[in-house]
Amino acid sequence: MNTSTLPTSEFDPITLEILWSRLISIADESAAALLRTSFSTIVRESNDFATVLMDENGDGLSENTGGIASFNGILPRTLKSFLKKYPKETLKPGDCIITNDPWLATGHLPDITMAMPIFYNGKIVGFSGSIAHSPDIGGALWGADCRELYEEGIQIPPAKFLREGEPNEDLLEMIRGNVRVPDQVLGDLYAQVTANQVCGRRLCEFLDDSQLTNLTGLSAALLERADWAMREAILAVPDGIYRSELRADGFDEDETHIQCAITIDGSELVIDYTGTSKQITRGINCVMNYTDAYSVYPVKCALDPETPRNEGSYRPMKVIAPEGCILNPTRPAPVNARQLTGHLLAGVIYKALVQAVPDKVIAECGGAPTMRSVYSGYKADGSRFSQILFASGGMGAGPIADGLPTTAFPTNAGAGSVEAFESIAPLIVWKKELRQDSGGAGKFRGGLGQDCEVEVRSNGDIQLSVFSDRRKYPAEGFLGGKPGATTDIEFADGVKMHPKSRTVVKPGTRLILRYAGGGGYGDPSERDPQALQDDIKNGYVSRAAAEADYP
Amino acid sequence: MDKRIRVGVDVGGTFTDFVMVDEARNEIFVGKQLTTPDDPSVAITEGVEHLVREAGTDPCAVHSVVHGTTLVANTIIERKGAKVGLITTRGFRDSLEMGKEIRYDLYDLHLEAPPTLVPRYLRREVSERMGPDGEELLAFDPDEFRAAAKILIEKEKVDAVAICFMHAYRNDAHERAAKNIFTKEFADVPLSVSSEVAPEIREFERASTACANAYVQPMMQAYLSTLESKLNDLGFEGPLYVMLSGGGIATLRQARAFPIQLIESGPAAGAMAASYFGGLIGEQDLISFDMGGTTAKMCLVEGERPERSHDFEAGRVRRFKKGSGLPLKVTVVDMIEIGAGGGSIASVDRMGLLKVGPHSASSKPGPVCYGLGGSEPTVTDADLYLGYLDPTYFLGGEMELDLGKVESAISTHLAEPLGLGLQESALGIHSVVNENMAAATRRYMAEKGRDPRDFAIIAFGGAGPVHAYGLAKLLKVNRLIVPFRAGVTSALGFLVSPPAIDLVRSYVADLENFDTVHANALFAEMEDEARELLVEAGASPDLIKYERTADMRHAGQGFDIPVPLPDGSLDEPSREVIRNSFYATYQELFERVVKDVPIELMSWRVSAMAPASQVSMEFGGGEIAAGDPVKGARDAYFPEFGMLNCTVYDRYAFWPGYTFNGPAVVEERESTTVLGPDTKVRVDEYLNLLVDIE
Repeated sequence: MNTSTLPTSEFDPITLEILWSRLISIADESAAALLRTSFSTIVRESNDFATVLMDENGDGLSENTGGIASFNGILPRTLKSFLKKYPKETLKPGDCIITNDPWLATGHLPDITMAMPIFYNGKIVGFSGSIAHSPDIGGALWGADCRELYEEGIQIPPAKFLREGEPNEDLLEMIRGNVRVPDQVLGDLYAQVTANQVCGRRLCEFLDDSQLTNLTGLSAALLERADWAMREAILAVPDGIYRSELRADGFDEDETHIQCAITIDGSELVIDYTGTSKQITRGINCVMNYTDAYSVYPVKCALDPETPRNEGSYRPMKVIAPEGCILNPTRPAPVNARQLTGHLLAGVIYKALVQAVPDKVIAECGGAPTMRSVYSGYKADGSRFSQILFASGGMGAGPIADGLPTTAFPTNAGAGSVEAFESIAPLIVWKKELRQDSGGAGKFRGGLGQDCEVEVRSNGDIQLSVFSDRRKYPAEGFLGGKPGATTDIEFADGVKMHPKSRTVVKPGTRLILRYAGGGGYGDPSERDPQALQDDIKNGYVSRAAAEADYP
Repeated sequence: MDKRIRVGVDVGGTFTDFVMVDEARNEIFVGKQLTTPDDPSVAITEGVEHLVREAGTDPCAVHSVVHGTTLVANTIIERKGAKVGLITTRGFRDSLEMGKEIRYDLYDLHLEAPPTLVPRYLRREVSERMGPDGEELLAFDPDEFRAAAKILIEKEKVDAVAICFMHAYRNDAHERAAKNIFTKEFADVPLSVSSEVAPEIREFERASTACANAYVQPMMQAYLSTLESKLNDLGFEGPLYVMLSGGGIATLRQARAFPIQLIESGPAAGAMAASYFGGLIGEQDLISFDMGGTTAKMCLVEGERPERSHDFEAGRVRRFKKGSGLPLKVTVVDMIEIGAGGGSIASVDRMGLLKVGPHSASSKPGPVCYGLGGSEPTVTDADLYLGYLDPTYFLGGEMELDLGKVESAISTHLAEPLGLGLQESALGIHSVVNENMAAATRRYMAEKGRDPRDFAIIAFGGAGPVHAYGLAKLLKVNRLIVPFRAGVTSALGFLVSPPAIDLVRSYVADLENFDTVHANALFAEMEDEARELLVEAGASPDLIKYERTADMRHAGQGFDIPVPLPDGSLDEPSREVIRNSFYATYQELFERVVKDVPIELMSWRVSAMAPASQVSMEFGGGEIAAGDPVKGARDAYFPEFGMLNCTVYDRYAFWPGYTFNGPAVVEERESTTVLGPDTKVRVDEYLNLLVDIE
């Protein structure tokens, strides 16, 4: 399809705008219900959730406004696999299907996906779905170093969580028996059910109000508009094949090597990862669904950031990764820390696209992948704690501005307050500050990473789990821009910690975490002298580094 | 209470509105003056002078003047504040800049960071550290502090200084020590201390609030002094009060120390007025709907009190984008504001769909129909085209509207690219803007666990009454109230608001183990402070009511909810009372309770309030017209019903008890009320329109 005229349908552009905005508000109300009732801090702190309204075919029609963009593309796929096991004609009102299968859903076990059919006048007119990160999923504590999926937690194959509104008690007992905080886990599953029910109820009211009997025609019109807008955006990119490659630390001797070829042919775009390194026996394998989601999202950001999205937005794009590679592993590969690989894709994609559309992309980000440290143990009163230190590296610089400091891309995990962090766990953060000279030099400078120092003040030993990359390979700069600083996690005595490992640490231990900076954009010699002076005045760049990096 | 003469002044972006209530004569006088942005006190004194002269009142007979201002908000938006220095705990000077580390737009790769009021070179660190339980981990170093302050003031020449130390909300000893040194050695430099400005947990938000306070303080102190002396020069001898963002009246002393609490003082007045009308009419549950030239504001009012929040975001880089501004720990009337006003511009987006807002033609150049150079069609233009507005009776006929220009603008910018007719396009603008407001209202209500259908809408602002019927239909609200003099409703809010203050202390503790002695001390301290402030603001100490709440949550759940706490001294049995109160609140909000997870208390609050002045509304002023309210008829278009011939009414000719049915258009000087054919209207004793929608 190579089009430049707007698609036409039975709906005029005003009706479409109004109906679409109502469908988005349905997904938002569903998200509000989920957010208000879930226990998981990850859901709230790092937006690790999504709610999606799907049509009768399981195509995504509208999604919540603030969620993780990439999750929204996955839910419809998960639903379609549900429908293979439980065909549409067998579903009853009040049925709710659940899974955490990494291959069918979002790539690791802690994410729970739930979907429910929506009946209107006795017929299925659509589906409501939600994904949320569970407070616990059993197995080994969160880590990147498991060797098989079985160590990573309980697996829930697609199953009915509710049958005609009644809980599937056997399944509930099974889940209860396998997680550390069963009440919170079950509570959150019901929060997802509530979210799905809100979505269903609102859709029925919507159909009443708009006097439609189903979503068929409307869905077709909306998908077509989104598809058209994405194609228009791709058409603006010169045809060709743009190649790039990227290296990342991987796990020990297994470095990750990603090969990327983007083919632009008229209004279609294909991303092919053939040549990428093989899957490994550690938990950084990234299943195809996650690969796909974290490939189309950065493309949308670069080429068509403004138009709203639905399944149609993703139709003109195709993602290929050979089976058995780290971007399309086979079962039972461990996948718990799949984000350590998946987050790298935005960088390799922009590295290819910068050859075609240099004014639309940003250099590699220090916060991709996210660096996390997780602290688990016991407080003085004997109660258990498990705290994640949320903090980000710097964003890559772009064609019009410096990269943002300490901001994650492609994920959007924020940082909580240090005071709140300290108030619920025996940990003291002595420092959380911008890291001088960590942004890659360039006409536009990469965003700064940060330095954190954490002291363990528990009575007994605690478990520490870390997830990091970019110790060897920094975020690269584009078009002459320099790379950002690499990461480091070390103890106060200078001993470096394994970047993806779990270890036991003693009270009094101090840990120093250095987060990576973003890559620079353009030749440093072209940097505005005033901007460089301001950088020095504010200590973002030291005098020595300014002299060395900016000729 | 004595019969008093009181004046309310609302300093807006374009106009400064005045309301004077003379209780002895039972009359209300209103006035309007162009705002003088360089020195707002000029317009205020001129306006007050004008008003008292017109009413034949002696300035010294005026009991008090209450005012609200957008000055604080504008100073932050326009980045015109003071040069501020910040002194923090070592290791934390960058929390102000790093913020929440979140992208406020998921898809924009090139987004601009929210503003940082204090650049890094003006942020200094000192050795000191408190722990989360208020224990000292590292002693405060006075010499380092002295040196840091000296550099900022003498070398960098800052105008104001803010201090924010870690966990100072829990133990302010180090901040107090720093303050002592500072006030001794740098007495003439305004100082904002985080544990005084915003004694709440979360270092970024607390530092942001302290810095914003310092940023507006020098300007506000000068302004308030000027205003006070100018009013005194007029002969006014009474107290000058200000409206705080939470809807309470406070003294100038409070305003000088914590000017940041005035950030939303204007919008708060509108919601307070809506609450007042609710009480007058006997409607407890209201959605206050204020639609002006550039924005629409919706606010939930329950039990005659607007919903309040203890978080606010100011100076957004992108006006309506959450997360793109400075977070402030300030008690505000909790409302949602979206880019939907009379001046909102309609356009065709990249997908070929019709969009309205958030860009606005504002008052300059204004909508196309003003004929002042606006070329892109706006909401007001569509309202004119659809017959809702009378081209010859805009602002009571002061401005003639140009329908011909509107037709050609709609045709060029919308009808042609969309392939639609003029009327369809105009109706599209009206429908889309209503839909935007309905969607925002639904989301706002959903976040609070409320259903709009259980509420009535009270509409004001220039465009509010034009769109209220359409909004009510979309939200399935069946009762609508349009107060008389919708144009000055906000200014009236200043005169019906109570002296009130909200205080907070953070103390994070487990419900089962918290220290009741410490908690009792916190409440005693807050109630003493509140009493002193309210008595100063004219309240009688015996009539002050104290409401205690705490922000509570399940341990591990990142979402606090405000829970009412019992009065009196807390003791062991209080734990169960609080637990039950938490469960009851949780149940009401989330429709379920999880019983076996520990419960935490985060922030402890006292809301103190004295009775508000009663304003009698049983008078008409000089605006009432005699004769037949029916002015004529004209055609207007309604989405569900098509083109209908509407009766046009003169609002000033209504009398209490008058009833009529829609379709109808009711005209008054600053606004027009549009009602569909499924409405029944009664004019109440205060000349409000009470509308039932079938």
